[in-house]
Amino acid sequence: MERPLSPFMFPAWYRFQIGSALSILHRLTGIALAIGSILLAWWLVAVAAGGDIFAATHAFLASPIGVLLLLAWSAAFFYHLCNGVRHLAWDAGRGFELRNANRSSYAVLAATVVLTILAWLTVWLI
Amino acid sequence: MAQKSSSSDSTALRDETVLRRVRQLGSARGGLREWQLQRKTAVALIPLGLYFVASMVRLATSDRVTAAQWLGSPVPAMLTIIFVVTLMAHAVAGLRSVLLDYVHTRARLVVADLLVRGAAMVLGWASVLAVLKLFLAR
Repeated sequence: MERPLSPFMFPAWYRFQIGSALSILHRLTGIALAIGSILLAWWLVAVAAGGDIFAATHAFLASPIGVLLLLAWSAAFFYHLCNGVRHLAWDAGRGFELRNANRSSYAVLAATVVLTILAWLTVWLI
Repeated sequence: MAQKSSSSDSTALRDETVLRRVRQLGSARGGLREWQLQRKTAVALIPLGLYFVASMVRLATSDRVTAAQWLGSPVPAMLTIIFVVTLMAHAVAGLRSVLLDYVHTRARLVVADLLVRGAAMVLGWASVLAVLKLFLAR
């Protein structure tokens, strides 16, 4: 039998738990947001440069792929924000009890969905 | 042995004096500072991130002139620069903690670390210069 190696212990070796799933999701969204910061820097430079560069950037962001990227980026942002607040509470020694940790897990997921929907409603309604 | 009493001795992770004591005993290198940087930038990014994303929500469908005017006005320009710099510091700390967990070869770790820091430098400075250009051109 192959020796199981981290980070590939999950889901084959560990049973699903909401806490561990959200933990790895925090890292994944963090990495995704770091990659997304390339787009942020690009957009700022495009606004400063103007002309064809901005036109191309704007067209890309307004395209279906661009909107999908922005949707994923905003969801990742709100998740990382909400779960990050939870991490800061843990750093302060609060909310470690399994019951509370499980509860706050679902609260984080719910807040992510609500904030993402609110943000996009704002985009479409304005 | 008389021990110097300090109100913060009980919280070893937060006390520089205790850190110095730990250094003599073993491997406490730059980790604490980076841990603190990650938390401090995280706290700063809560208001900064919300401010920036809320602004982007309004600018998402805007033309270049509107975006340039917003980025060029003093408060948004300053907050955007602070946001980007803090974001880059937080991203470097976060990506480094991922690399430290999963990259086990010293040489690969050094290369990956340099790439992450270099990319953050380029993206950060490009963003700062772009906002400065818009601010100075108004």
